[in-house]
This record gives sequence, structure tokens and C-alpha cells, in this order.
Amino acid sequence: MYGNGMTGAPASRISDFLVPKASFFRWLDSLRESFSVVGPVAEEDRTVFREIASADELHMEYASTMLSPGKVYLYSPREDLFRISFGKDLTIEEPPRSPVQRIIAGIHACDTHAVFYLDRTFLGAFRDPLYENRRSNTMLIALNCSAASRNCFCSSMGAGPFLKAEKGYDMLLTDLEDAYLVEIRTERCRVLFNADATQSADAEVFRRKEEKERSALRTFTKTINTDGLDRALRENPEHPVWGRTADERCLSCANCVMVCPTCFCHDVVDELSMDMKTVRRYREWDACQDARFAEVHGGNFRARRTARLRQFVTHKLDQTHQYGVFGTVGCGRCITWCPTGIDLTEMAKAIQTRKA
Amino acid sequence: MHPLKPAKAVLKNIRQETADVKTYTVQVDGAFSRELSPGQFNMVGYPGVGEAPISFSSLWEDGCIGHTVRSVGAVTAFIDKLAEGDELLLRGPYGKGWPMDIAKGRDLLLVAGGLGLAPLRPVIREVLQSRDSFGTVSLLCGARNEKNLLFTDEYEAWRKKISLFLTVDEAVTGEPWGHSVGLITGLLDRVKPDTAGTCAFVVGPEIMMRFVCRGLMLRGMQPADIFVSLERRMKCGVAQCGHCQHAGFFVCRDGPVFPYAQVTGLMDGML
Repeated sequence: MYGNGMTGAPASRISDFLVPKASFFRWLDSLRESFSVVGPVAEEDRTVFREIASADELHMEYASTMLSPGKVYLYSPREDLFRISFGKDLTIEEPPRSPVQRIIAGIHACDTHAVFYLDRTFLGAFRDPLYENRRSNTMLIALNCSAASRNCFCSSMGAGPFLKAEKGYDMLLTDLEDAYLVEIRTERCRVLFNADATQSADAEVFRRKEEKERSALRTFTKTINTDGLDRALRENPEHPVWGRTADERCLSCANCVMVCPTCFCHDVVDELSMDMKTVRRYREWDACQDARFAEVHGGNFRARRTARLRQFVTHKLDQTHQYGVFGTVGCGRCITWCPTGIDLTEMAKAIQTRKA
Repeated sequence: MHPLKPAKAVLKNIRQETADVKTYTVQVDGAFSRELSPGQFNMVGYPGVGEAPISFSSLWEDGCIGHTVRSVGAVTAFIDKLAEGDELLLRGPYGKGWPMDIAKGRDLLLVAGGLGLAPLRPVIREVLQSRDSFGTVSLLCGARNEKNLLFTDEYEAWRKKISLFLTVDEAVTGEPWGHSVGLITGLLDRVKPDTAGTCAFVVGPEIMMRFVCRGLMLRGMQPADIFVSLERRMKCGVAQCGHCQHAGFFVCRDGPVFPYAQVTGLMDGML
């Protein structure tokens, strides 16, 4: 389901290599000629994903970024849908599709899963041509995490710290100190891969990978019990934790939504030009935390802050019938960036343990 | 083609239904799908103003489709100012409509509150056209007052083939009103649904649907035999913008018509 064929054919033969890091980065650098290579770069006190001018800029040991690279680069915060001109005849033009071929290097397992989630929204029964274009023009080089950050709970969600999926992305890296275990998933990536000094990854290399995973798993401090979680939330819409958290702490600032790698909601806006001759119709990220998000004539289905907070949290931890998976990948960003520290795992625990 | 690209439509006829409701008969260009079913909707709008989800009040008739619109928001107030011959944009059809296949061969109870009569009108038209395919068909129709009744010039033709019961919250015109006064739930006893064989389509304000559905169940109907049409804010119509999400359902794609059993008791809803 995920990927929906966006990454082309799977690799035609097993392509697992042990690659010295220097060699790997030389190869990545060589790709900048034909690709826009995006990766984690240390900027002041945090890491951001941006296009790199050299692989030397990469900070691959990063913890967590504020925004997930998948959401930013595949589903733009704002983008034009149509340009409509009034004239003798009304004309509706689609903007030209971006020809950019991109590589996102170093995307964590949780954020890779978040891309699979966005695929469900934008490549479902209705396929979004803008997302589809970028998804198929983007190679994802995923990176297994060596250690959890304070708010990570991907291990509880099956979305990390190591990526278990075998399709929907192009390459998977595991950090083995001075070398990467490189597992190539797609044919388009296999034909591109020509790093020097590589050796086939043998059983010993995979044993080291397993050891790394066990060690990464030991670093988690935050967990959530997903057993019956959706049902527990669904059956407790009036649990006091909703109202209390909303009344005492939630500011409706929508930070949680903006940093969430799976939140896909957007607004569609018409902007009239100053000469009133053209209209730019664009979409931009929107948030269920906005008071008017669910407003209709004569009413607002989520006028109460409690209802809006509950919508966000249940969309992540309940509502599994929507796509057959949980809406969270456990990246913990909504916790990290909440100005009042609201923690959806704590809310879930309060409901699961039936504590008031 | 981009799924959100609208098609051009020309207003062929505008009929004033009530003080703030008009029916627009529109001719659409070739880009628009011909496959429509009762209960589905279009995103209707104009560049610079935006788009709003509007259900069909008539399907293909003389090469045109119909939308019945109350002027209440930015988009609908703009449409209200248009004249015959003007252009507007629309795209669709979207969503799941009324389950006509399930209703066929059974008794059909239609319950409409206010503007809710508009999305049921294509159902009524279909019933009138293939009357033998249905058992007893009754329409319960409520409005705030006599002035807010829609499609009044069609009632006579409807009455020849289906039972029509009208009620208003209050009678205000002073003219003789030979029908009920009071909430629409008061009409439920006027029809005696054959509880096993009846299928009900209910549409109106959500609070009205809540009490109608409960009333029907008190009279023995099963939740699985009741269908409701929900209204939510929508920006895309294709299950992507997220505005219409209702406890995990995309009302635009999974509805707007739902089996009552599927949407009763959901958070942030009134059913």
C-alpha cells in the first residue's frame, strides 16, 4: 500500500554493503550533480533538513528535528494549485510540475513511516498530482536511529528506532561506527550506487546491526501501550483528562499539528491579485486546533477547545479505521514543541488506567 | 487531470424558492462527469470567493443539473448575486449518495428538515419515475414556517404518487394552513413504518436528525435501516484537506450519506 509504486521496481538483487563512511559521503556528494540532496544540518542549537552544498555539512547523528523532512519536501507548507485568469474567457491553469530530482538523506525510521502515512492521504482513491510528482522524484535514504530522544516513543508504535519496512523508500543506513551498513531497496537506487571500497555485508555485519538495534531500544524512556488503545479512547470521550488538559494547559496554538509529520490537513485559499485579473488558488497546512476549522453555517462541530484537543489526540491514538494504522509514528514532536508540555502518551495512560 | 480542477458551468435558470433560497439550474462543460447519484454533492464556487459543498437538488434534466442554495456564507452569498447567463465553477460529483438499491422493493420513508429537502429531491424524482420499484413511499417535510417551504409547486405532482406530510414550527402568514404545526418528530406517528420492510432517509439539521432517528427506533426501526446525510466543512471533497473528518470518517468520501448505525454516538456529533 505505502509508496504505491512511487519508488519504482524493487532492487533486482540483494544489495547490502558495508561502506566506509568517507566513501559513502563521497558517493552522496557525487549525486549533487543530478539531484538536490537534502539532509540534516546542524544550525546553531538545532538540526534542520535543508539542501546541502557538500556532504561535509551533514550531521547524521542528529536527535530529532522540529519539522519532518518528508512532510516539508513532499507536502509543501504552501503551494499553488491553480492560477485562474478572468478575461474574455475564464482560464484555469495548473502550475508547471517541479522537475526537481531530490534525495532526502538521513530520514529517520519514524519520519519514513510518516511518509507512508501521507501516501495514504495523497495517493489513495484520489491521487494528488503534486504530491505524486514529488514522491516519485524523491529518493529516500533512511537512517536507523542509534538512540532515542526524550520524547520518542516510536518503539511502541512499531515505527522505529530501526526501520522494518522493506519498500516505499530507496536505501537504509545503519551506523556501524566507521562504516554504514547500506541496504538498497530499489532498483533505481541500486543502479545509482557506485561508492568505492564497499564490501558485501555478511552475517557478521547483520549481527552488529541487531546489536545496535538492541542498544538503541534500551535508550527509550517513553512508551505507550497500544493494546486496546483505540478502543479505550473511543469509549472514554468524556474522561476528565480531556477537559482538564484543554482548560488548564492547551493554548490552541496548533504547534502540535504543525510539527506532526502525519498531519495532512490543509486549507484552500483564493488570493485575488491587486489588479483583480487573476486568482491564485493555493493550499496551505491547516490545523484542527484552529477554532474555525470545523465551523459550518449555524454551528461549529468543535467549538470547544476540549473537542479540538481530543480530535488531535484521538486522530493519533484512535480513529484507526481511517487508514488501518495509528495516526502517530511516535516521533514525540507534539510533546517537545507544546509550550505547556502536553503529552499525549500521558493522556492515554490516564484513560487506560481509568485514573481521573 | 488534477482532481481539484473545476469545470465551467453556466446558469441557465434561477428560481427563487424562499426569501434566501434559490435553485440554480446549470449547464456544465464536457469535463464534468455524467455519473451522478442522488445524495452526492459538488464543490461549487467562483475564483476569488472559494468553494462550498452543495448537494444536487436535481440530476440530469434537459442536460442540466440543479443546486438549491441558501445564501449564508461568503460563497453562497456570492452565488446569490449571480444572474442567468453568468458563469460559475464546479467540480464533482463527490461522496456516497442515498442507497437507492437498498431502498428498492421496500417501503421508503423520507424525512426532510428545512433545506434538507434539496438532497432528497433527486430521490423523489427517481421514485416518481420508477414508482413500481418501491413500496409505500412517504415524505415527512418540516420547515420553520410556511415561507420556508421549498419546491411548493411540485407538491401536487408528488402527492399523486407518494404520501406527503408537512409541518411548520410555527404558522406565520395568517393564511389557512391545513397541515401540522410543531416539530417534525410529531409527524412520525402519522406514518406507520412496517418496521422490517422500511428504509428511512433522513436529512436536515443534525439535532433534528438525532431526534427523528431516535423516534424511528422507538417505533421499532433498526439503526441499519436508517440513513442520514451529514454536513461538514469541506475544502477539497476528496478526503485530503481533512476539514470534514468526523471521528475518522471523511464525510466527503465516506458520506455524506451514512448508515445511522455507523455515525450514532460519535464524538463531536449529535446523532
